[in-house]
Amino acid sequence: MRPATNARAGSGDEIDPRRVWLGVAGELWRREPSHVERLASRLLRSAGLARALVITPSLMLSWLVASLVVITVGAVATAATGTPFVALFAPPVAACGIAFAYGPGIDPAWELARSTAVDDRLVLLVRALVVFALNALIGVLATLASSAARSGLTAGAGSGGAQAVGSVTYGWLLPMTAICLLSLATSALLGSSSAGLVAGLGGWALAVVGGRAADGAFTAAVTDPGWRLVYLSMALCCGAVAVFALRGVRGPR
Amino acid sequence: MNVDIKDVTRKFGSAQAVAGVSWVAGAGVHGLLGPNGAGKTTLLRMMATVIGPTSGTLRLLDRDPGAHPQCREIRRRLGYLPQNLGYYPGFTIAEFVEYFALLKDMPPNRVPAAVASAIEQVGLGDKARAKLRTLSGGMLRRVGIAQAIVNDPHLLLLDEPTAGLDPEQRVAFRTMLREIGERATVVISTHLVEDVAAACSEVVLMNAGRLVFRGTPRDLVARGASVVGDGGSGDSPLERGYAAVLAEARR
Repeated sequence: MRPATNARAGSGDEIDPRRVWLGVAGELWRREPSHVERLASRLLRSAGLARALVITPSLMLSWLVASLVVITVGAVATAATGTPFVALFAPPVAACGIAFAYGPGIDPAWELARSTAVDDRLVLLVRALVVFALNALIGVLATLASSAARSGLTAGAGSGGAQAVGSVTYGWLLPMTAICLLSLATSALLGSSSAGLVAGLGGWALAVVGGRAADGAFTAAVTDPGWRLVYLSMALCCGAVAVFALRGVRGPR
Repeated sequence: MNVDIKDVTRKFGSAQAVAGVSWVAGAGVHGLLGPNGAGKTTLLRMMATVIGPTSGTLRLLDRDPGAHPQCREIRRRLGYLPQNLGYYPGFTIAEFVEYFALLKDMPPNRVPAAVASAIEQVGLGDKARAKLRTLSGGMLRRVGIAQAIVNDPHLLLLDEPTAGLDPEQRVAFRTMLREIGERATVVISTHLVEDVAAACSEVVLMNAGRLVFRGTPRDLVARGASVVGDGGSGDSPLERGYAAVLAEARR
């Protein structure tokens, strides 16, 4: 280890080789941000927040590929059978992503990050929003694809666009929002991503089993309009709990 | 004053980790000593704004860490090395230090030179592009120190900073601390009294959540000297002082 001031001292007309080396080393070791990070940096107006976003565990390529595979299988199964598997798969996949977006045990340097100027509630919010948006996008594409394939199989013409939008909005977007907020609220309240994961998956399993018990079909959780009010109430309650739990994440009060 | 703590307590459930500590500290290197469970790490975490006090007031760098804009300003000027440094195994040393420079809100154009300076200061220049998973425990500790000093902090908090460092590195580290202490407040929590003897201008000793001694290393040595005849324990004069103060506090 070397003294700090020599490295940073300006020395008038004389050339300080150490200072020169630091300039060279800084350029040599500099990491070139990806296009996505640069864009995020511009949008978020914070290079730190952008960097925190691009290293989100549930936005890593392997995670995204796994999510894509699950939803694609759902889309193929939906197209082949007519059973809304995309709607059944999308909420728990997104809930897992939300649970693994941020927190102790997920971010190795979480404690250290909490002592830095970039607000960790903002990190969580940005990460959760991006994870949700990406999963929603994958879900929409899968729904449209399976819907188009299905209408091609049954009618030979593509009139399923409006139906697909309806099934997206009421079929899985609302349950997905509710289950994601359940996962987020549980993670924030208990400070554990695993707890968030269990709550998300468990909550969805209960909804599916409950739907089957009430209507006799395991797809009732995404097809029965009666569930919409349940999901909406659940989303509001879990959102409120998440806000309550996160109010103390930052700041020493 | 850079650190101004009044009657601060911190409870975890029913356990009281810090029980009414008051302490004022300006520039210099301050050693926080105490046995396991004395409350050193909790006090340091409060000063790092990671957790808040249960009661009492805390002012850091003449600001209130409970007020959001002021807390952000404190954090910009803060360097913190936690007891357990979490790290991203796939990051290189330079990437890790850069990440925390960005999180500390440093202007991006200043980051590369600051990262290089911090890495050079901890003597890891030849390993700057090595992945963290390939480093030894001592090297990781030095990476932790590098991220703590990258923003040229006004308040530097180090929890067990010399754990895993070899004797040569420890000596160099103390020199660096003394130099930073000339312009900033450095607080090191440690079990190693030789670190305190070599680097600190002030020693603060904690026991059972309370501050039981505050003075210079020389004052602590003097406390030990006064009880040697009564069978004071410890190999060095400072250790004897440490043991004497603790024994008195436990009576």
